[in-house]
Amino acid sequence: MYDEQRLIELRGVSKSFGDTQVLHNIDLYIRKREFVTLLGPSGCGKTTMLRIIGGFEMPTEGSVLFEDKDITDVPPYRRRVNTVFQKYALFSHLNVFDNIAFGLKLRKLPKAEIKERVDRMLRLVKMEGYEKRSVESLSGGQQQRIAIARALVNEPEVLLLDEPLGALDLKLRQEMQLELKSMQQELGITFLYVTHDQEEALTMSDTIVVMKGGRIQQIGDPKRIYDEPKNAFVADFIGQSNLLTGVMLADELVMMAGKEFPCVDEGFEKNEVVDVVVRPEDIMVVGTDVGMLEGVVESVLFKGVHYEMMVATGETRWKVHSTTMQPVGSRVGLSIVPFNIHIMRREAVAIPAEGGGQV
Amino acid sequence: MVTSVARRAPRRRAHRLKLTYIIVLLVFLYLPILVMIGLSFNASESRAQWTGFTLDWYGRLFNDSRIMSALQVTISVAVMATVISTVIGTLAAIGMHSMKQGWSNLLTNVAYLPMTTPDIVTGVSLMLMFVFVQWPLSKWTMLCAHVAFDTPYVLFSVLPRLRQMNPNLYEAALDLGCKPTRALFKVILPEIMPGVITGSLLAFTMSLDDFVISYFTSNTDQNLSMIVYSAAKLGVEPTMYALSTLMFLVILALLLIINRRSKLEEI
Repeated sequence: MYDEQRLIELRGVSKSFGDTQVLHNIDLYIRKREFVTLLGPSGCGKTTMLRIIGGFEMPTEGSVLFEDKDITDVPPYRRRVNTVFQKYALFSHLNVFDNIAFGLKLRKLPKAEIKERVDRMLRLVKMEGYEKRSVESLSGGQQQRIAIARALVNEPEVLLLDEPLGALDLKLRQEMQLELKSMQQELGITFLYVTHDQEEALTMSDTIVVMKGGRIQQIGDPKRIYDEPKNAFVADFIGQSNLLTGVMLADELVMMAGKEFPCVDEGFEKNEVVDVVVRPEDIMVVGTDVGMLEGVVESVLFKGVHYEMMVATGETRWKVHSTTMQPVGSRVGLSIVPFNIHIMRREAVAIPAEGGGQV
Repeated sequence: MVTSVARRAPRRRAHRLKLTYIIVLLVFLYLPILVMIGLSFNASESRAQWTGFTLDWYGRLFNDSRIMSALQVTISVAVMATVISTVIGTLAAIGMHSMKQGWSNLLTNVAYLPMTTPDIVTGVSLMLMFVFVQWPLSKWTMLCAHVAFDTPYVLFSVLPRLRQMNPNLYEAALDLGCKPTRALFKVILPEIMPGVITGSLLAFTMSLDDFVISYFTSNTDQNLSMIVYSAAKLGVEPTMYALSTLMFLVILALLLIINRRSKLEEI
């Protein structure tokens, strides 16, 4: 796990390209040995943030600190960070060995040491025996491994990864996720990872930074982000969910879908309008006599481990995950325990439509 | 079966028509050159009759001091012009590539102009300029002129390579510890090298076979094309056929190499 020491810190960082502002007053710190993921839809500013830390972009305002020293004006070749680029950016005029050795040769290390370190990297990324191959003869997955080795061989303090697995197929991506995570733990290097894939973020990260429109929406560990999304956007972006509008009748009592539900949230004003999130797997399908809600099954999809059903209760439609199938058209009861109802304060920007907003 | 045979006949006729057309076209284009090549091996000085095969004219070429000095002018000007225009054109391409779109487009159009301007206009205007700055016309003014018309060829061979290049390559080099100049030489240049070589070959070819612009921009020193031209005014000797044949073959070889290179790059 990570240390408490702050390695990189962004203070009040804003960035504009011409008239468009892509980052708004970002404050963020990354601790030593932490695996941090910047997660958000395309255009949310996550890659720009990574490029500012890599030194490829200058913030319009604010500063970047490395071990408490201001490095805002330090060029990329003097920063103790290395980057794995989205499209690999391998040097096609060099073979695999020379690609990986590129940074070490620039530092004029002795030949024997270069060879030893490159060999170690090739073992780490499971590409032994490929030294003499041209990088263009490699598959996408293999090129990605060489790009990772080329960055890691320099033993950076921080490795920046810009959607490194985006071009790989699902199975390879999942394999690489596990390998990257174990490399990070083995080497004890801080990783800053950019992705738009929420599953990838949940699998690998110590800390997830959810972004939207150049602003940080929530920072937290994966479980917290999943279980307690701070607003409707985060809830919607992370995992599938039922997003409803509710009214707080009192502490620990919310009115939604025309019914009153006991919940665990308090501190809202009486009759305050709120966003409510209920995960599909937290809704139990029960008999119509004991359910808190009664509805009709509208559709059923088999998803492998579970069935995904749409259940309509009056005006509201619920996405429900269950291991037992209910035939389309049958009447079922739905039940939700108070702990699984997440109440979020409304934000002026994101107002979801009434009813079950699905991903 | 019957219908397919019936259909095949007009198709065969169309094929024969196409073939004839191509042959007529090629004869029209290359017959004059073939006649000249043939005459360069003719023992008789007459253009009208064939009296036997000889390599005499080629032998005389290499003993003619005027031709040899023209060869030297041609090659030295072509080599120097190629080197200079390759450096200028490559750097210009890199600079233009990193400019903002609008400026880059403007400069691209400006650089296209000399390629479409008639040689005679380029030649006369360059001559006027040299006269205006009182620089006597010689091999060196010819060199300047050649650099001027060669550079766009290099520029337009290198620019597409830069546009194809992964924009992260330069950043990857910086990331791994290169300073900007170092990144240019260690990463950008090797990456665009195929375009640089194609461009310099084009420039060399253009420089070798230029006549019009050289004619206006040099007095004392003559290149091979100028020698052929002045000889033709006095009545052509078969040595000139031999010289023209050799020039044709060299240019043809260069063009074949350039074509092959650009085809390989497309793959």
